[in-house]
Amino acid sequence: MDKKPFFVGYLPIPEGLRAFLISLTVSLVVFMAFVGITIGATQDDPGNGAFRFDWRQQTVTGVIEFVPYPILRVTEGNERIPAGHTLMLTGQGKSTIRTRVQPMAGDLVALTGVILKRGELDMMQVAGGNRGLKKVDGPAPDLPAPEPLGRWKLAGEICDGKCLAGAMRPGRGLAHKACANLCLIGDIPPVFVSSQPVEGSEFLMVAGPDGTRLPDRAYDLVGAFVQLEGDLERRGDLLILRMDGDTMELMQ
Amino acid sequence: MNTAELLFAGVRWWLTIGAGVAAVFLTIGIDRIDEDARGAYVFRPLLLPGVMLIWPLVLWRWLRIETGAGDEQARYVPPRATHKTVAVLMAAGILAAVVLGLINRPQWPADFVPQQISGPGE
Repeated sequence: MDKKPFFVGYLPIPEGLRAFLISLTVSLVVFMAFVGITIGATQDDPGNGAFRFDWRQQTVTGVIEFVPYPILRVTEGNERIPAGHTLMLTGQGKSTIRTRVQPMAGDLVALTGVILKRGELDMMQVAGGNRGLKKVDGPAPDLPAPEPLGRWKLAGEICDGKCLAGAMRPGRGLAHKACANLCLIGDIPPVFVSSQPVEGSEFLMVAGPDGTRLPDRAYDLVGAFVQLEGDLERRGDLLILRMDGDTMELMQ
Repeated sequence: MNTAELLFAGVRWWLTIGAGVAAVFLTIGIDRIDEDARGAYVFRPLLLPGVMLIWPLVLWRWLRIETGAGDEQARYVPPRATHKTVAVLMAAGILAAVVLGLINRPQWPADFVPQQISGPGE
């Protein structure tokens, strides 16, 4: 009869297999640790973006505008969100707040929600129900008109603003492309990360020309490094890039 | 509709049809083709996600068993002869995917300086 040792999980380890099993186990642990460290070390820094739950919910007053993604031009802020700041807006999860704020475009409103922040990029996830959105009595103050900044050629990456601002880590790159596209289909404001700061800002909200949404062609290249041209404008302290989809090229 | 929306819509349709197939299979079909399942109901919701994913295979197997076209015994013969080859190929494939992915990583265009093509109103 064959005396070849045979491993059975609930029986003592056969003598002939002990050394093999111990060396294999140690090798696997060392190998997996090496692979984990190697892959981890080659990944880009996910950045410092995060939900600022430690700030608790913030309430600010301002005017709703559509570019065409909803933004709030803050007229009465607080110690963390000053007046004059422009906040991008989002709903819960991968959904927009467009339908809730659409009837209040141009009106003075008070918004309450959680802030997502990554450096100078920030966004408010507006709370649900009447608690998140209230109309404020009185006329909306006159706001500085959008400042056109000319046409620019830029290189960088199109992301969804929510994940990039801190909802996901990492919130950009090819590994995040499917998530970013789902957010963008859900009408979350897109953001362009520029290779170098433009007019002092590395992050620009991106839209299509003439007040349209992100061009369809851009969805295919979300998360990839691209070169594109577009018209730049400033609203409050937020830069908006109205990209020309025909000029978009994948960088090799 | 862009490619991302097309893919998303496709997945939604696939799962919607899968939910319909699962509803019929888990209430009627499973009783017809598996006598051990008759009278047992608690486990059926657990099969829901799987049936939604592989509903064409479920329909095909259901048809084969209902019509007696399949060789049921052969299905349970484990294909052990190929296990070693498949295991080695899968391990090599994972390693190759990681290595190729790392080699072909796109480089962030840090050297590209933003260029103003024209000023406001030009």
